[in-house]
Amino acid sequence: MTLSYAPGDSLAHRLDPRSKLLAQAGFAAAAYAYTTPRGLAALTLLAVGFLRLAGGDLRDVWTYRFALPVLALAPLVAGATLGAPWFRPDRAATTGLASYRVLLILIVAAGYVRSTPVRDSRAALQRTVPGRAGQFLGVGVALVFRFLPLLKRDLLTAREAIRARGGDALPVRDRIRLVAVAGINRAFGRADRLGTALNARCFAWNPTLPRLALGRTDAVALGVGVGLFAAALVAVP
Amino acid sequence: MIDVDGVTCRYGGGSGDEACVTAVDDATLSVPDGEFLVVAGANGSGKTTLVRTFNGLVTPDAGTVSVNGTPVESDLVAARTAVGMVFQDPRDQLVAATVGADVAFGPENLGLAHDEIDRRVAAALDAVNMAGRGDDRIASLSGGERERVAIAGALAMEPDHLVLDEPFTGLDEPARRSVVDRLRDRHRAGTSVVVVTHDLRDVLGLADRVVGLADGRVAVDAAPEAAVADLPGLDVRVPAGATGDRPDETVASDP
Repeated sequence: MTLSYAPGDSLAHRLDPRSKLLAQAGFAAAAYAYTTPRGLAALTLLAVGFLRLAGGDLRDVWTYRFALPVLALAPLVAGATLGAPWFRPDRAATTGLASYRVLLILIVAAGYVRSTPVRDSRAALQRTVPGRAGQFLGVGVALVFRFLPLLKRDLLTAREAIRARGGDALPVRDRIRLVAVAGINRAFGRADRLGTALNARCFAWNPTLPRLALGRTDAVALGVGVGLFAAALVAVP
Repeated sequence: MIDVDGVTCRYGGGSGDEACVTAVDDATLSVPDGEFLVVAGANGSGKTTLVRTFNGLVTPDAGTVSVNGTPVESDLVAARTAVGMVFQDPRDQLVAATVGADVAFGPENLGLAHDEIDRRVAAALDAVNMAGRGDDRIASLSGGERERVAIAGALAMEPDHLVLDEPFTGLDEPARRSVVDRLRDRHRAGTSVVVVTHDLRDVLGLADRVVGLADGRVAVDAAPEAAVADLPGLDVRVPAGATGDRPDETVASDP
């Protein structure tokens, strides 16, 4: 699962988070510039390549399964009309390609998250964005990426507890309601406990940030990022 | 030295029909440097709330708490540096994905230099027999290992006082013994240790003093030999044959 860092020695693990962020941003720009099936096919190969370089695989993409219904529903909603012809395939296709771009960006983000410790991401942001704005962004990243894996684990635990007591026999709607209510309760409790833990350990706005250093391999990643940005600019009419 | 003077903590009572619960009621005690103190009591007796006032995680409604002569509320960072806290469930305490990153979290927040952080992380992991495991994923650790990482995270702050809330909950016997050994080592190294528990079998042999709580009040405050007679009345489990006898390895000798 890629909602959290997975220690490893892949190429992506060895890269500086700043170069990974640039490559990721370049990829997002290219994904929004090249919207044709051919362009997206090329970007698909690139996205899968990014994930593989981070030591990830299809199971990591499965982590984002909760987003898939929304991405799949979007083209249906976009294509629907209130009167005849009731459905416009051209609109649905455009939105479908947009949904697919989001999926590609999620795949690249999965590679980043699994190969980058939270504190390195925080350091990259605080060193890239100076002053309080950088501190604010850094704290945001640190909190979100500490909280999300815990929350996900709590939700899975709630679901297992419901199953263990025969919840499988309930209608889907009831199961969703039970998990949602338990999940919200646990989310508040988890947020409270995480806040207490951070307080106990003197959570600071401006801690000692880990050492970051750009190496030779980062030159390649930076080149890829800049290249993707340039390709996106070329595509803009 | 931790000084607790007339501390009262209440929960609830915010809305009209919500009952107000007094978790700690006019508690007074002190924890001298280098002491091994056990805070014992049944579930809901106020143990956790009391020790959380030691470093300002809970603010008393009445009374004062000071650490090394400084009121806690006047310098929270100093209090939290001086009083290392290990929570009942280490999963609530561990905030990073890997062992090394988690142990480094506190020292990083203190703004220490990288070399000093590295030294503290190595020393803390060594102290809990986890040397060389800095890259291990927290999620892959056993319950006992997580407890030891939580202790290492507190030790990396180099506290004067180490407070552990029910540190043996959910641990099997080897893991409990391992934690007891680590606590003995810290105590011998000069750190004062406060263990919160409702079961004294593991720590009675290490304790210099036992404080027993009942309904938030300090009901017992005595040396272990004198305290054990009163503790079962507080629904606290004591080792068999503990009276007049302080075995060093109560876990090993007591089934």
